Amino acid sequence: MSTVAIQVESLSKRYRLGTIGTGSLRQDVQRWWTTAIRKKEDPFFLADSATQQKQALWALQDISFEVQQGEVLGIVGNNGAGKSTLLKIISRIVRPTQGTVRGRGRINSLLEVGTGFQPDLTGRDNILLSGYILGMSKAEVRAKFDEIVAFAGIERFLDTPVKRYSSGMYVRLAFAVAAHLEPDILILDEVLAVGDSEFQKKCLGKIREVSHHTGRTILFVSHSMQAITNLCDKGMWLHQGKIKKIGTASAVVNEYLVSAQRIQLKQKWDDATLAPGNERIRLKLVELVPHLLTPDSPVDVRTPLTFKIEFWNLLPGETSLSMGLHLYTYSGECVFDRPTPDSLCNQGLIKAECTIPGDFLNDGAYYFSFVITRDTSVDLFRYEECLSFELEDFRGDYNYYGKWLGVVRPNFPFKLIQAGVESFAS
Amino acid sequence: MHDSNQSKWDWEITAKSSWWGASPRELWAYRFLLGGLVRSDFLRGYQQTVLGPLWLLLQPIMTTITYLLVFGKMVGISTGTVPPALFYLAGIVLWNLFNDAFTGTSSIFRDNAHLFSKVYFPRLVIPFAQLSSHLISFAIQSLFLLVLLIYYRLFTSWDSHTLFWLLLIPLVVGLVCAQSLALGLLFSVLTGKYRDVKFIVGLGVRLLMFLTPVIYPVQYVTEKWRWLVQLNPLTPLFELFRWAILGQGIVTISQLLYSTSFTLILLLASLLTFNKQGDKIIDVV
Repeated sequence: MSTVAIQVESLSKRYRLGTIGTGSLRQDVQRWWTTAIRKKEDPFFLADSATQQKQALWALQDISFEVQQGEVLGIVGNNGAGKSTLLKIISRIVRPTQGTVRGRGRINSLLEVGTGFQPDLTGRDNILLSGYILGMSKAEVRAKFDEIVAFAGIERFLDTPVKRYSSGMYVRLAFAVAAHLEPDILILDEVLAVGDSEFQKKCLGKIREVSHHTGRTILFVSHSMQAITNLCDKGMWLHQGKIKKIGTASAVVNEYLVSAQRIQLKQKWDDATLAPGNERIRLKLVELVPHLLTPDSPVDVRTPLTFKIEFWNLLPGETSLSMGLHLYTYSGECVFDRPTPDSLCNQGLIKAECTIPGDFLNDGAYYFSFVITRDTSVDLFRYEECLSFELEDFRGDYNYYGKWLGVVRPNFPFKLIQAGVESFAS
Repeated sequence: MHDSNQSKWDWEITAKSSWWGASPRELWAYRFLLGGLVRSDFLRGYQQTVLGPLWLLLQPIMTTITYLLVFGKMVGISTGTVPPALFYLAGIVLWNLFNDAFTGTSSIFRDNAHLFSKVYFPRLVIPFAQLSSHLISFAIQSLFLLVLLIYYRLFTSWDSHTLFWLLLIPLVVGLVCAQSLALGLLFSVLTGKYRDVKFIVGLGVRLLMFLTPVIYPVQYVTEKWRWLVQLNPLTPLFELFRWAILGQGIVTISQLLYSTSFTLILLLASLLTFNKQGDKIIDVV
């Protein structure tokens, strides 16, 4: 029988925009005088509710959910969706404006790696101090001390002030302390955004170990969808302070990704006079058709994509036309420039198709441009950024969570084979 | 581990902040943090300095010498029968305790905004830790004062009453600490909310020193204006401190009672304010 570890009930948090309070001591005293002593209306409270709405930002609005004991809940959402605010309220750092959070067991939160580190103190002192800040006793820290040091891999630098640490060492140490605490509920906010990929992997391994073997409840915010789907049982999608979806991690992540994609997959012009073009070429349609594995899955690196174009050739007589299709990343690199061979075309509708296979491009944002030429040398019409799309990451069995390098990610066969078992001898 | 009865929760977070704040049991659970903070305070303060903790003594000594020259020789304020060096040092050591503890506590929200916005622990741990490290400094400086006192009694013609009265010192120190903590907590809430208060604190504490018998004995103040100095609840404490050590000072039981009740009421009010407002300030700092 499962037990509820955290129960969040109609939780709201309002921030006021602009000045906080009335902004000055004099006005606060004046307000206190009129409201508390003379029992009149707040002179600074704007009666006009529209203005008031504009000044108020609801970081969270009427959020309710439950987390079972031992469950790993991943929270996704855009920047400003209220994820961090929610974690801050559950960690008792800020108070909600309305609503209640109830829970069982000790909470520890790691909202930022390295909180409370004193740069002048040695690694040893900082381990102790951050353990204490997170509410551990001396005995608890001592018991975990060697494990923490080993996990962070800083044995040699224990007595060096952390300000002389490399940033990687610093982050490793900071995470190690938090990961070795033994709270009943662990709250992690974007902790994987730092550190090198090897360490990220180690952290994820640790988190998985913590959740699966010790049955601890974890609330986990990350922008790495890969990490969320891999680690979490349940997902929650926050959008502008409200719960947009709550369900299994993969379903939530999929839906979130589909909505978040910055895509222009189709442009169609029914009225030819308004279509882009000139007296020689006039566009009718450009379209990118993704061949999705399942209808509700996001467009990811596995998805084959078909580029389609239809345009009017307005040039009289027989013309030798060709077209170049250019794919660019949003950082401006050209991925490929695929020309068509010259074709003899008459006046009328011309169309073309080009399919980019799945497992070819890396994840990221891309756009298409194209140029239509006559006799391979004369540009008839150029169109920059006619279509744009994003490819989400998908890694399947790879245990690697860092940014995958490269513009392309072709799936060439490549694997290690045991060639012999004899030991190395010079 | 827990029973499944839905109404039994270990903790609850609501919009209302409590006047009473963290329970004593919770504060006790964070005692290691207090120790760790005091330790790190000392380690940090004197790392990469040549003289290290010697600065603890050099600071009051240099101030005493300055006061000796300026107020003793140049302005010519009488210190009664007490040797001026002892008189000033006693005043400075106690004033430093009050001054450091008060100004330190008054800015905890601004100084620790980063920490407070990232991790929860009972906020009172920070002022207590600060007070503890100032008390340690005070103890070291007092030891030096004691050495100087013994020197004067043994090797000069000046003498005072029995050392037995030194037993009053813990009472004085306790009250000074309570008062600096009370004022500090109150002002920490204010400086967190209103930045201008920071300047008031700096200015106010400097002015307060002149209303406190640090560089002059109360008996030196003319009868007409003595009430103003004695209105200051610190005055009886400083006079009692000097009286206990040096045998000179004007203090009555009623003044002490005034100072004590002022301190206790203020401390209670400050603690309540700090608990009630502390949570909200994180949103503002």
